[in-house]
Amino acid sequence: MSELIHRIESPEEISLLVRKLRESLSAAEITPNTVLEIFEAWAATLGQRETVDIPGIQFLRIWLRRGTLEPIVVRELGCEAVRGEWMKDGRAWLKAFPLGVVGHWPAGNIEIQPVLSMTCALLGGNACLVRVPSGLDDLTRRLICKLDQCDDKSVLTARVGLLVFDHDRWDLQEAMARAVDGAMVWGGAEAVLRVRSLPFPHWARLAVFGPRISVAAMDADSWCNLQQRESWCQRIARDVWQFDQQACSSPQVLYLEEKVGHSSDEFVRALQKAFELENRLHPRQTIPAGLTTAICQARASWLLDDVANRACFSPTPDWTILVGRGAELPKPTQGKTLAILEVDNLLAPVEKFDGNVQTLGLAMADAEREAKLASLAARRGVDRIVKLGRMHVFAPPWDGVDLIRPMVRVVRHVASMG
Amino acid sequence: MDELGQRIDHLLAIPPYGLPPGERESLLLELLKDELEYASGRNSGVRNYLLHWPKEIRSARRIADLPYLPVGLLKRQPPISLVEPREIVRTLNSSSTTGQVPSRIALDSSTARRMTKGVVSITQDFIRSARRPYLVVDVPGSAGGGPELGARGAAIRGLQPFASEVTYCLRLDKNGDLSLDRDKLSQFAETRRQSLVLVYGFTHILWKYLVKPLSAANSCLDMADLHILHSGGWKLLQAEAVDKATFNEGLARVFGCSPDRVIDFYGMVENVGVIYPDCEEGNKHVPAFGDVIVRDPLTLEPVPEGKQGIVQVCSVLPTSFPGHLLLTEDLAKVVAYDGCRCGRRGMCFRFMGRVAKAEVRGCGNIERYRQ
Repeated sequence: MSELIHRIESPEEISLLVRKLRESLSAAEITPNTVLEIFEAWAATLGQRETVDIPGIQFLRIWLRRGTLEPIVVRELGCEAVRGEWMKDGRAWLKAFPLGVVGHWPAGNIEIQPVLSMTCALLGGNACLVRVPSGLDDLTRRLICKLDQCDDKSVLTARVGLLVFDHDRWDLQEAMARAVDGAMVWGGAEAVLRVRSLPFPHWARLAVFGPRISVAAMDADSWCNLQQRESWCQRIARDVWQFDQQACSSPQVLYLEEKVGHSSDEFVRALQKAFELENRLHPRQTIPAGLTTAICQARASWLLDDVANRACFSPTPDWTILVGRGAELPKPTQGKTLAILEVDNLLAPVEKFDGNVQTLGLAMADAEREAKLASLAARRGVDRIVKLGRMHVFAPPWDGVDLIRPMVRVVRHVASMG
Repeated sequence: MDELGQRIDHLLAIPPYGLPPGERESLLLELLKDELEYASGRNSGVRNYLLHWPKEIRSARRIADLPYLPVGLLKRQPPISLVEPREIVRTLNSSSTTGQVPSRIALDSSTARRMTKGVVSITQDFIRSARRPYLVVDVPGSAGGGPELGARGAAIRGLQPFASEVTYCLRLDKNGDLSLDRDKLSQFAETRRQSLVLVYGFTHILWKYLVKPLSAANSCLDMADLHILHSGGWKLLQAEAVDKATFNEGLARVFGCSPDRVIDFYGMVENVGVIYPDCEEGNKHVPAFGDVIVRDPLTLEPVPEGKQGIVQVCSVLPTSFPGHLLLTEDLAKVVAYDGCRCGRRGMCFRFMGRVAKAEVRGCGNIERYRQ
């Protein structure tokens, strides 16, 4: 087990590891069905004491279930792919084959991401070389230990190499890039650009998931509906709380469509209650001091910037609701700091989106208007339009990109005697 | 305002480190509440902020429960002010790291006067009150004379009440680089060797332009009876692996004095009139007219002794800008809430560096930001 996480000091160690991964790849072909079976068993172990407190673990447990992943395999690769069979396409046969060794550069602020990224490539039959960000090595080790327990024949663990090395060891970053046939890159703008500039082989395929933000919006009939108000507020709180509002899919701003004769005050109070409840259920265990000062700065700036602005926040940095007016996208603070902006028409803020918005979480009473808003959002670069409360429930495409398909080659075989 | 001014002056007049913590807290608490009310009446943005503070301000029983402003708000242009523009006599600019926006602090004549008094009150507790020759390890003109003043200038000026005369011993060469004016320094040393002397310089300037060249030449100024004050932080010296002990010994060697004559003080222009010199025990203390609260980043509550957190500085001195309660971007450890062996009353603490800036992330930066 200990060899699953390697502290790397030299490029030669990476070469050696990749050679072993290629040997595992050559030794046997694995079908998505085999991978799904092991994942299902792995998911069942993740509720145990050693892993249950890892942020995002509930998401990972659901993600690894056959019920989640098999439909994704079917949609991206076809029905026959689940059992590794060729699929008929006219007079030809098609089948997905792995790219080979896929390098993973996961984000450093999502605890489960090294594992999550890896699962996508494993489903395509690939081997994985994962650079575990500093600070995530212990959590990742705990997760992989559980995989090791379920994978007694080392079907998957033989295809996984987890590396730990200092991010400014450019020689090691380069060695890793040179050794792979594909890469999945996640992170902030600067980090993503740095990884993209590495010397990958010319045939390597890259799937890049850069930084995005997400937005929530409610039409007037939704937030004014007293029967549903509490439920919507709970949903918003859930979306804000998960991943400490730092995921691409976390809402940073909630646009409320104004309605004549209705003040948003009561809605804000209901949201405050939902935030307080969510905070009691899922209190923060730790916070970087820089985030605390950023939250304090956001609160004060908001209220000093415009005397018409309102806010409510806890005496701690736990949560913040900033209330104002306007269609501009405010600078996000994260750390459970949600800006609520009232607008005449929800089309106005969506019109201003520029491709940086990944997910639009909606509560719309009018389906026809929702369809119109969704179309506009999609044209403005939004990749996911979902119901509020489900902003982190990812079904691929993720960021508009399939998760398994980019890391496979679909081979076409036309029989010579056909 | 007059009544407020009298209460501030009263605190300025008492010995800075003599009050028991409880007594100081109760004196400051009511005054700070009144100052917040005063600020609220003079700036609508500040009023809006105070109105939304999640705790009742008037019934607060601790300074820690009063609303504080993040120091970053003082970077605004125009500066946040509580007085009319015509009343502003000087604007202080903080030293800022390359590419960062400096804070800008508007001073009216009353605040400027109190600022001087505050610095004098604190400093004389450490170096006594006599006037003496003042050697500034900087270039002439760095203390400015106009309406704008930087952090170096403010520190140099803050110590001028202790000066019988002022000598600057650095010069700018043709390329605009600093260098040591050895003739001027030698002349100063020869003629003032028998006197009590005050020396001031920014920490890295003292090291780079005084200690290094004199050490290289194996020179000693032979001035035993002096106090060397320095400020400005250790970031640049840390890059050269120069720690405090090495720094103090280096300075003592070139001046020919004891290392305990070197006093590091922390000050920020936003915390007008308050500086935090190290005591003999290596701790920093809070004066009667100010306070420091070290807050736990997770709860924003004051930390217990021995723990570190985010520094909030408090001062009753400013009336021209809302700088009474400022959450800084520095970290400190509380050594004790009373009972430092140096004899100064109240809490003592040590600075632990800067808060690492939080960046907004999508699904992350490749490096984990957690400390």
